[in-house]
Amino acid sequence: MVNKSSDTKPARTDGRRLRSVRTRQLIIDAYLLLLRESPQIPTATAIADRAGYSVRSVFERFPDLHTLRVAATDHAMSQASLQVAEHPPRGSRAARLRIHVETRGRVCEEWLPLWRALNANQGESAELKERIRRARELVIQRLETMYRPELTSIGPVERQQTILAIEALIDFESWARMRDMFGQSFDQACDIWVRAIDRLLPPTPSDS
Amino acid sequence: MELSNVSDTSIKKPNRIDGRRLRSERTKQLIIEAYLALADAFSPRVPTAAEIAEKAGYSVRSVFERFPDIRALQIAAVDYAMAQVTALAPSGEFEGDRQARLNAQVRARAQVCERWLPLWRSLIINQGDSAELKDRIRVARERYMARLEVVYQPELAAVSELERRQLLIALEAMTDLESWARMRQFFELPFDDACIAWIQAIDRLLPQSSTSA
Repeated sequence: MVNKSSDTKPARTDGRRLRSVRTRQLIIDAYLLLLRESPQIPTATAIADRAGYSVRSVFERFPDLHTLRVAATDHAMSQASLQVAEHPPRGSRAARLRIHVETRGRVCEEWLPLWRALNANQGESAELKERIRRARELVIQRLETMYRPELTSIGPVERQQTILAIEALIDFESWARMRDMFGQSFDQACDIWVRAIDRLLPPTPSDS
Repeated sequence: MELSNVSDTSIKKPNRIDGRRLRSERTKQLIIEAYLALADAFSPRVPTAAEIAEKAGYSVRSVFERFPDIRALQIAAVDYAMAQVTALAPSGEFEGDRQARLNAQVRARAQVCERWLPLWRSLIINQGDSAELKDRIRVARERYMARLEVVYQPELAAVSELERRQLLIALEAMTDLESWARMRQFFELPFDDACIAWIQAIDRLLPQSSTSA
C-alpha cells in the first residue's frame, strides 16, 4: 500500500507538471499568433480566448503580461537560434552568402512581428532591453562565423566597420521595407542582401 | 462723411482679420514647437495635451482650438520637421569628386539622425493604423532615396536599372536612422567614427563611376 502510493504520487505530479508546461506553451503560442495577425499588442482576454483557457489560467502561469512577453521572447530566441544552427557555414563564399542571407530572411519573415512588439514594449524593462541586446549580439556572432575567412583577413577597425555595416543592412526593419515598401519577393530581397554583403566584404583570402 | 466712414471700415477690417490670423498662426506654430520639444524629450512616448499646452504657454482649450486631436498635431509636427530637413539640407552633397560627395552626404545624414532620431522613433512606434503618418514615413524614405540617387548619380549611372535599384535599397537600409542610433548607442562610436564607418561602407557598396574609373 505504502509502496503503491509512493509509486503513483510522482507520476501524478509529473502529469500535472507536464500539463502545466503545455498550458504555458499554448499561451505563449497564442500570444505569438495574435502578434502575427495584428500589430496591436494582444490583451489578456484575446490571449486567453486564442489559447482556449480562462484569463485566470493565463495569470496563474504569468503574473502579468510583461512576464508573458519576456517568456515569449525567450521562446522565440531559442527557436530562431535553432533555425540558424540548422544552417552552419559551408562551402565557397557564394554558398556561405546564400546560406546566411536565406536563413536570416526566414528568421525575419517569421519573427518580425515579435521583434516590433519587443521594441515597442521595451519601455524601461531591463529584461526586454537585455533580450534586444542579446538578439543583436547573436546576429553579429553569426556574421563572424559565416564570414570568418574574409573578416580575419582585415584589421580590427576595418572588421568592426564591416560588421556594423552588414548588421545595419540585415536588420529586421530593412527586411520589412524590402518586402512591404519596395514590393520585393523573398528571393529578390535575398538577392539584394547577397549582392550588398558581397560588396561590403573584403576579398576571400584563399578558396575558403 | 458717409463715404469716408465706409472707406475707413473697409480698410480696417482686413487688417484686424490679418492680425488675428497671424496671431493664430503664431500660436499654432508655438504649439507645434512645444510638441516637438516634448516628443524629443519623452520619445517614444507621445506627450499629453496638458504637457503640450503648459510647454507652449497656452491652455489645453487653445491647443484643441487649433488641432482637433493629438494625432492632427502629430501630423502637423511631422510635416514641419520634414520641411525643416528639406530646407536645411546642404547643397555641398552634390558637388565634387566621389570622396567629397561621400563625406558631405554622410555628415549631412548623420546630423539629421542626431537631430531627429527621437521624433522618428516616436513616429515609427506610434504610427498605429494612421494612414497619414504611414504616408509621411513613406515620403520621408522616398525623399531620402531620391537624394541618394542624385548625390551618387555618377556611380549609379554606371550600372543597370535593376542593380541601381538594389544599391539604393541597400544604401537606404544601411544608413537608416536606427542604424545610426545603434552605432552611437549600442556600439558607442563617437560621431566622427560613426561617419567614417558609413563612408567606408558606402564607398565599398558603390561601383566606380565611368569618370573615376
